[in-house]
Amino acid sequence: MGGFGAILKNELYKTIRRPRSFIGFVVILFICLMLQGAFYHDGKELISFVTQQFESVFNIQGNVLNGNLICFIILQTLIVQMPLLVALVTGDLVSGETASGTLRFLLTRSASRTQIVLAKWLSGLFYTLLLLLLLGIMALFVSHWIFGSGDLMSLNSEGLTVIRADDINWRWGYSFLIAFLSLSVVASLATMLSCIMDNSITPIVTVMAIIIIFTIVGMFDLPSFDVIKPFLFTTHMIAWKNLFEDPVPVNDILFSVGILMVHIVLFLSISVYYFNRKDITT
Amino acid sequence: MQLQAQENPKALISTLNRKFNLVQDYTADVKMVFDIPGVKMNNMNGKVFFKRPNKFRIKAKGIFFMPKQNPMQNISTLLLDTSAYTSVISGYETIDGRSCAIINIIPLKTESELILGKFWIDKLDPLVRKSQITTKNNGTIESSNTYSSNAAYTLPDQIVIKVEVNKFKVPKMMSVDLNKKSKEKDLSKQKETGTIRMDLVNYKINTKLQDAVFVEGKE
Repeated sequence: MGGFGAILKNELYKTIRRPRSFIGFVVILFICLMLQGAFYHDGKELISFVTQQFESVFNIQGNVLNGNLICFIILQTLIVQMPLLVALVTGDLVSGETASGTLRFLLTRSASRTQIVLAKWLSGLFYTLLLLLLLGIMALFVSHWIFGSGDLMSLNSEGLTVIRADDINWRWGYSFLIAFLSLSVVASLATMLSCIMDNSITPIVTVMAIIIIFTIVGMFDLPSFDVIKPFLFTTHMIAWKNLFEDPVPVNDILFSVGILMVHIVLFLSISVYYFNRKDITT
Repeated sequence: MQLQAQENPKALISTLNRKFNLVQDYTADVKMVFDIPGVKMNNMNGKVFFKRPNKFRIKAKGIFFMPKQNPMQNISTLLLDTSAYTSVISGYETIDGRSCAIINIIPLKTESELILGKFWIDKLDPLVRKSQITTKNNGTIESSNTYSSNAAYTLPDQIVIKVEVNKFKVPKMMSVDLNKKSKEKDLSKQKETGTIRMDLVNYKINTKLQDAVFVEGKE
């Protein structure tokens, strides 16, 4: 275990120190600040775009444009971008070393191949966690600081749900947990492809392509797509949104969590299996 | 009294106005229960403020929906200006065991926002039991009132507001509901009825409310 600890520490250090790791942090900072600035100036107009269907009859009273709504919008917006940022770093954890020829050197250490791939996978998850923590601080805390607190008016295809401010913190907590689980699937997929492929760019591009294709399939209500949708992990990556329904569809969330976990275990198992049998020739 | 009222709707309205004229201002605690198609919202507690001639505010912590033409604000003030409308009794109906005259209010000025006001006024104890107000911009709003301890001031204990709302449609891409299948929608029904129930308690009448209470953001 001492060998594993050392290799994990080394992998964490390598992951965090790489210049591309900072791209993710900068992108999140930029998107959050950009959206917060835009909503600060034009938020009311943007909100009325959604509420206009009601505003012919109702006056919507209370502070609609608050920190909870901004956080919800940012999270919803970043659900497409975050996996790409995760893939950018986790997609070449193994293949990057294969391409640069440092993998052989890594394998001369006392740790087993399984330990090496697990250490790389865990360092990928740690990076994902850091990204999410930054997102949480920016989207939730900074938005609350700028816009104040209040009830959340969440939007789904069936209408609006107003979640009271005193009933929301636990939902955010679980949302970020599910978001972490979702991004862990992406990190696991990227690690798996990184073990299979030797080129450092191909796994990253492949993960991005898979996510884009799956997301597009999920957006269309076509009978042929409906058959495959439940099996796509992207379908379950937005399970966090279910926490903002009333009542909370607990079974749907648990099902999605189960599917995401199955994906993680599957991708990680394939990674370990493939890496243990991989011919390291460079 | 009953016979006189049947012949002359103005007599009923004038008795009603006399009662409401006793009220200069009031506050009350309100519990709002929402049943609006396309909107899921928990019950909410707040405070209602009214001051003559037509200052009205509901103060509550959080988001809530109120009809643009709030019957609570409109009914009494609408009936007060008797020179602005003509009134006719169009029939009689029993509501909750109370015999009511249905009085139609038609504005005299064509530029008036009001198209038609229909009031079910209790014949024995003149109070608006039900109303249906149709305006140019906000459609028709129906409300039913229940009275008890503050009936002498025409202040209801419960108001049930019914309003027609268009079916709420959100594009799936906008709501990012990738894991939801779109439900079959009944296209024949473009409008649905929404209900807001307001339970009012702890009325405080004529306490000389300050105008500042009605300014948004001021506590």
